[in-house]
Amino acid sequence: MRIRPAVATALLAGLAALAAPAAVPAQAPTKTPGQLVVGVAMPAAGFQVGAVRGREVLFAKGYEIDLANALAGELAVPAVRFVQEDRFTAFFQPGPKEYDLALSQVTITTAREAVIDFSAPYFTADQAVLLRRGLVLKRRRFSQLRKLQLCAERATTGGTQAKRIHPDRPVRLFRDPSRLEAELYQRRCDAVIGDSATLGALRAQAPQRFGELAGRIRTGERYGIVFDPGSALKAPVDAALARLEEDGTLGRLAARWFSTDVTRLRAFR
Amino acid sequence: MRLLLALVLLLATAGPAAAAPPGQVDVAFLQGEQVVTVTRPGTTADQAVRALVAGPTAAEKREKITSTVPRRTAVRGVTVAGGVATVDLGRRFASGRKAEVLSARVAQLVLTATAIPGVESVRLLIDGGTPLGLFPGYATKFPITAADVRDEDVPAPEKPPKPADKDPSAAVRALQDRLADLGFLPRSGVDGQSGEQTRFAVMAFQKWARLDRDGIAGPRTRAALEKAKRPTPRTKGSGRRVEVLLDRQLALYISGGRVVRALHVSTGAPGFATPAGRFSVFRKERNSWSVPYRVWLPWASYFVGGVAFHESPDVPAGPASHGCVRVPRYDAQWLYDRLPNGTAVTVLASS
Repeated sequence: MRIRPAVATALLAGLAALAAPAAVPAQAPTKTPGQLVVGVAMPAAGFQVGAVRGREVLFAKGYEIDLANALAGELAVPAVRFVQEDRFTAFFQPGPKEYDLALSQVTITTAREAVIDFSAPYFTADQAVLLRRGLVLKRRRFSQLRKLQLCAERATTGGTQAKRIHPDRPVRLFRDPSRLEAELYQRRCDAVIGDSATLGALRAQAPQRFGELAGRIRTGERYGIVFDPGSALKAPVDAALARLEEDGTLGRLAARWFSTDVTRLRAFR
Repeated sequence: MRLLLALVLLLATAGPAAAAPPGQVDVAFLQGEQVVTVTRPGTTADQAVRALVAGPTAAEKREKITSTVPRRTAVRGVTVAGGVATVDLGRRFASGRKAEVLSARVAQLVLTATAIPGVESVRLLIDGGTPLGLFPGYATKFPITAADVRDEDVPAPEKPPKPADKDPSAAVRALQDRLADLGFLPRSGVDGQSGEQTRFAVMAFQKWARLDRDGIAGPRTRAALEKAKRPTPRTKGSGRRVEVLLDRQLALYISGGRVVRALHVSTGAPGFATPAGRFSVFRKERNSWSVPYRVWLPWASYFVGGVAFHESPDVPAGPASHGCVRVPRYDAQWLYDRLPNGTAVTVLASS
């Protein structure tokens, strides 16, 4: 069920007023009472994959899906509904959203913080370099990467990094992660620069299709959950994240979905 | 019961299989690295998809015919309109994370449905929705054709890079010499440099001697090497032939009753076991495309169904393949050159 913005705002204001400032509210102030609506932008290997009809998500799995369900449990919201956003950039566009929060490996940046609110970080990532099959790098040097056709997902840190490494040679950017994956598999890209956890998951699920995960580029990005500016959900979600961190849930979910320990990869210099 | 086992190999280079007889549908299962079709009673795409989900019969399983489609996958609906079969399956169809298995599942479904006259492509739905990222390598937003499945969409593999040279050592050379004397290493591999080829040869010896398979020539392995003799054939036979010893994970290349080489190999993992029996090489391909798993198999010599000797970059100590016999790159071409069509291949469960 989609809910009209006017109703949503009224509801939000009403529920926010009810929320006690210090204690966790009995049930968090979601736009639809009893239902946490979560924006996603599938697919991202390890984080979120699934099946959709229009924007309605009928089935989903991955780290962020489990995290959303765990958060709903902490917030005492009985139901979770996922909504697919086809354009990743829509998450940090101004304007009201139909979902309560968005979980989609959105890096916390100052520019984005001007438009949307972020939770405390729930995941720390570096960028990594995944090579096409048959390619081996002798040294972990940026100069080695400059000889290659680099590819990345559009509007991501990977794209920014690729352009920085390769100022003179066009980086091939793709909006659709599946397409990016296919280009690397079909060796029209020499290397993909992207989220280390995602590329690690991609490599682990298809070791025969890709070359090695050659190394990482230290960026220390922190992923945050996205809220409408001033959302009353931010405080309870931050508190819930802290509890999930403390009781080891976040670590368990990461171990479940990301078998490759990317922190052990050597860094490019 | 001897069943209607119309084993038609859908190899990459071959065209579509001949249509099933009237009142029968073709169902795509797997054997080794390729698709094999069997027939089942029925005429519709719905019946064919349900037969696919039901899986191979007991008799087919004995021939090591397998399926990557999970049994008890819910068939929510199969409709055909305008040449497109819309197949709506439960989420069980998308379970698991291995890209190759997920690809094989899509290949089996598409080849099964498109074998029905009038069906040209398959629109796959999971729980009624379009899959996103659930089947790596397939653009499931669009209907998939049999040509998409058979498409060799990846350039053929290049020669694997040669490992960097190291300083040769006399001790390594002595070890290699001994391994070469016994048939575990080719003479060309005696170079004094330690590396993967030597490690594999040590592992081949450990497999033969039934020692721990770590590929390291420790005290126990060295002591056993001192006393060892060249392996001997496990079965009687004449001429050039191969024995695959499933328990030892070794392949013996035999000529004139003598084991010329004992090769470190990896055969079918549990659920994908390599069939035991007497076979002969019937098809050879320098680079063979695995339709279901979407990978190239260099230096492939097929000896039963889709089961072949082929080069693999990954040859672990135990059974790991989809039913084929993985051969390390050091020996793959050597073996290929010695296995003309008709060469006898004996696969032994116990040696």
